Amino acid sequence: MEESDIKGGMKAARIFEFLSEEESEEFVRVSEPVVFAPGEIIIREGGTPSSLFVLTSGVVEVMKRVPGRGTRKLAEIDASDGRTVVGERGLLGSSGASATVRVGSAGEVEAIKIPREAFREMIRAGNPAAYKLATRITRLLARRLTRLDEEVVGAIRELDRRGETDLDVFRDKLITEWMV
Amino acid sequence: MQPTVESLPLFETLAPEERPEIASLLEPASFAAGEEIITEGGPEEYLYVLTSGEVEVHKEVVPGRHQHLATMQAPTVVGEMGLMTDPTATATVTARDAAEGWRLPREAFLRSLDSGSVAAHKIAYEIGRTVAERMAATDEAVAKIIAGLEEDRASADRDFDVFGDKLMREWSF
Repeated sequence: MEESDIKGGMKAARIFEFLSEEESEEFVRVSEPVVFAPGEIIIREGGTPSSLFVLTSGVVEVMKRVPGRGTRKLAEIDASDGRTVVGERGLLGSSGASATVRVGSAGEVEAIKIPREAFREMIRAGNPAAYKLATRITRLLARRLTRLDEEVVGAIRELDRRGETDLDVFRDKLITEWMV
Repeated sequence: MQPTVESLPLFETLAPEERPEIASLLEPASFAAGEEIITEGGPEEYLYVLTSGEVEVHKEVVPGRHQHLATMQAPTVVGEMGLMTDPTATATVTARDAAEGWRLPREAFLRSLDSGSVAAHKIAYEIGRTVAERMAATDEAVAKIIAGLEEDRASADRDFDVFGDKLMREWSF
């Protein structure tokens, strides 16, 4: 992948669209073009916090281990559709990934990797572009977390309406660290 | 009086020369015992940095019933979600006893972010680290709950499939 392809791939991902030309260049410098074979794992559930990947072509599957139920497929992400970034939480968080991202069987996946370590190094150096990206990811995660919380509360209300008896357990497990 | 922002975890990564910029945005705030600092469903225009006192967080999870979610001891921060999302509070925060500290107005903070202030971005980054960990914990809790619901109902109940799908859409991994 040429440098111009990396730039183009990053531009297409909305997560980078707010960066100036110079700031984008800084990420282009630390990014790595990567190609994954069919079936290859890009992010492993429970592994180390992930790097960020901008998917530029191909299809990935998102898989999650569900306790006592094996592995469940959560989603399929096609790089030609809207959402093309995976692993953004890993850049900010210190926990391992909560799902596995695997290349589909149909063909390889091309991506641009922003290594977590390179990003953290930029943060340590006080790099404004890295902080801007972090703020963007924070807003994205905060919005998703708010919607996730709303869905959880909606489900609890629905269970309560139906007179579910295991409601307390359900509620206590879910609402552990509410952020106001 | 200028607040000592460096003593709070949210601000400790600020360089000494960045602290005055943030300190200048802070306004003193104090609350009487029982007073609501943030009201669920109401506006969330400030981040509160509490330096003394204890606060309780409640949410009306089921209409008419207020669930106690947490008790937090100063030094602590509340209102950080409002800073990064729509400024509508998703829970109520009440002072258990007299509480004191500082408030950071959302508008002023967002202006600093927009103008490229590294100090403001550093605060956003610290909030982001907390949000990312909270997201990880919620993902795991949701996975366990969905597994439990499926087991109970042997997947016969389509509603829970829909619930599961909706939850999964908002995941960040």
